[in-house]
Amino acid sequence: MRTAAPHVGAGHAPAPTARSSWPVELDRVCVTYPNGTRALRDVSLRVEPGEMVAVVGLSGSGKSTLIRTVNGLVPATSGTVRVGPHQVTALRGRALREVRGHVGMIFQGFNLAERVDVLHNVLVGRFAHTPAWRSLLGRPSAADRELALRALDSVGMLEKVWTRAGSLSGGQKQRVAIARALTQEPGVMLADEPVASLDPPTAHAVMADLRRINAEQGLTVVVNIHLMDLARQYTTRMIGLRAGEVVYDGPAPDATDADFEQIYGRPVQPRDVLGAGA
Amino acid sequence: MTAVDLAGRVPARPRHVVRTALAVAGLVAFTVATCLPAIGGVELDLGSIARYWRNGADKLAELAQPNLAFAPRTVAPMLETLQMALVGAAVAALLSVPLTLWAARATNPSTPARVAVRTVVNVVRAVPDLVYATVLVAMVGVGALPGVLTLVLFDVGIVVKLVSEAIDSSDHGYMEAGRAAGGTQTQINRVTALPQVAPLFANQWLYVLELNVRISAILGIVGAGGIGRLLDERRAFYAYGDVSVVILEILVVVVVIEVLSNLLRRRLV
Ligand SMILES: Nc1ncnc2c1ncn2[C@@H]1O[C@H](COP(=O)(O)OP(=O)(O)O)[C@@H](O)[C@H]1O
Ligand SMILES: [Mg+2]
Repeated sequence: MRTAAPHVGAGHAPAPTARSSWPVELDRVCVTYPNGTRALRDVSLRVEPGEMVAVVGLSGSGKSTLIRTVNGLVPATSGTVRVGPHQVTALRGRALREVRGHVGMIFQGFNLAERVDVLHNVLVGRFAHTPAWRSLLGRPSAADRELALRALDSVGMLEKVWTRAGSLSGGQKQRVAIARALTQEPGVMLADEPVASLDPPTAHAVMADLRRINAEQGLTVVVNIHLMDLARQYTTRMIGLRAGEVVYDGPAPDATDADFEQIYGRPVQPRDVLGAGA
Repeated sequence: MTAVDLAGRVPARPRHVVRTALAVAGLVAFTVATCLPAIGGVELDLGSIARYWRNGADKLAELAQPNLAFAPRTVAPMLETLQMALVGAAVAALLSVPLTLWAARATNPSTPARVAVRTVVNVVRAVPDLVYATVLVAMVGVGALPGVLTLVLFDVGIVVKLVSEAIDSSDHGYMEAGRAAGGTQTQINRVTALPQVAPLFANQWLYVLELNVRISAILGIVGAGGIGRLLDERRAFYAYGDVSVVILEILVVVVVIEVLSNLLRRRLV
């Protein structure tokens, strides 16, 4: 087991704790995009509270679509999605935003506002919990500020609180993005290829951060990954997607190369592995 | 792979000789046609330049002798022109922020609202500034007020169009994060989009301030205040020495403002 990746363990305080950890349940979910692409075909699965699940598949297999149906960024064409006590597929407008407020998400491209300082990027995580007038005035409540600072501290980024996001390194940006998601006090954490834009040592550090959050808080984590070794090393369960269908669902650490070949639909290649990095 | 077998396999660069030739020929024919009075083109009597050249040369000679004694009388109107330019740009800057965010697709996903704002702004921009000035002088009377109102309308049209297009042509990944966190478009715009696009705004605000100095120098000709009124008055008295001073001053002020605004803009990037 790795312990000494460069940025790991930088956190000082525990992250803000979620009120409770949520299950995620998809029942016969299909997604067809307006252009006719069928991105998900009849996907059913259940993620238990506190699990750390990898969604594995080739590019275009539907990983991003799957993860976006969980918070309704992509609406399911048919089927139902439940997150904790909410049926996401039945919600719209304000009610949907409220649920999203409890579902953290991080992205391959970090999705930070580059010209905005770290604190205000992290406060984006409080949007769903902030009255509109307060956002318009640009004055966060003391409680929200406190949450944001705690989240930053937990990923070791507190001293960068006034730095513009654009001047951070890739690994630092992703940890600010994790802090933004933690500030939501989420019941579920979604991660869409969170390390695909990072160099190997930083990628390991960010994966270790996610696993630490999962372990310390019991937070449910669903992470899209296309690399075999990261899935094996950092997650407990693996869901394999091919052409929008679930073709594998089982324990991650002892998934064999043959299992991956079945998911990918081709022999394993060197680029399917990140390597130890440093 | 060697360079030798590469040379033979490079595909021929596509050329559109016929299309280019047709386009050029069409452009030339159209331009010529617009100068043929027989088919309704404009009448360009180049001979008049030759016939009246002595008259023109006399005027130029008078303009070449600026009456510097007149300069003190130009100070107050010139200050008024600068004030009009600044106030117009400032008011337009305030108005342009919400209008621009409504007019850009990235910051306003609602198509009907966006189309409505864009249509209004396009109409505002289609009207020439001197038309605004003339109408507004008739409506609110001679002075700086119609001038400022003209500049505001003119500036809002430019800023909203240019900045909303710049917003739509840039990347806004942070918006997906805002939506994923349950934010409304208003929250996303206020907290993240506005700081992101602030330099785009500042750039255009400085640009319209520059334009304002130029435009407000002539708005006075239709009664909308500023140095233009003095220019028009001296011209009516055939006091070309005075006119010359005013023109020189406008030139200097325009150049100075442009240099300053370029300096500022370079610091924005
Ligand atoms: N917004 C969209 N509109 C149309 N097709 C899309 C859209 N997003 C993704 N797709 C298509 O859906 C399929 C699954 O894509 P995606 O979920 O992004 O897969 P992955 O994340 O595994 O690469 C692909 O064929 C992709 O081209
Ligand atoms: Mg993807």
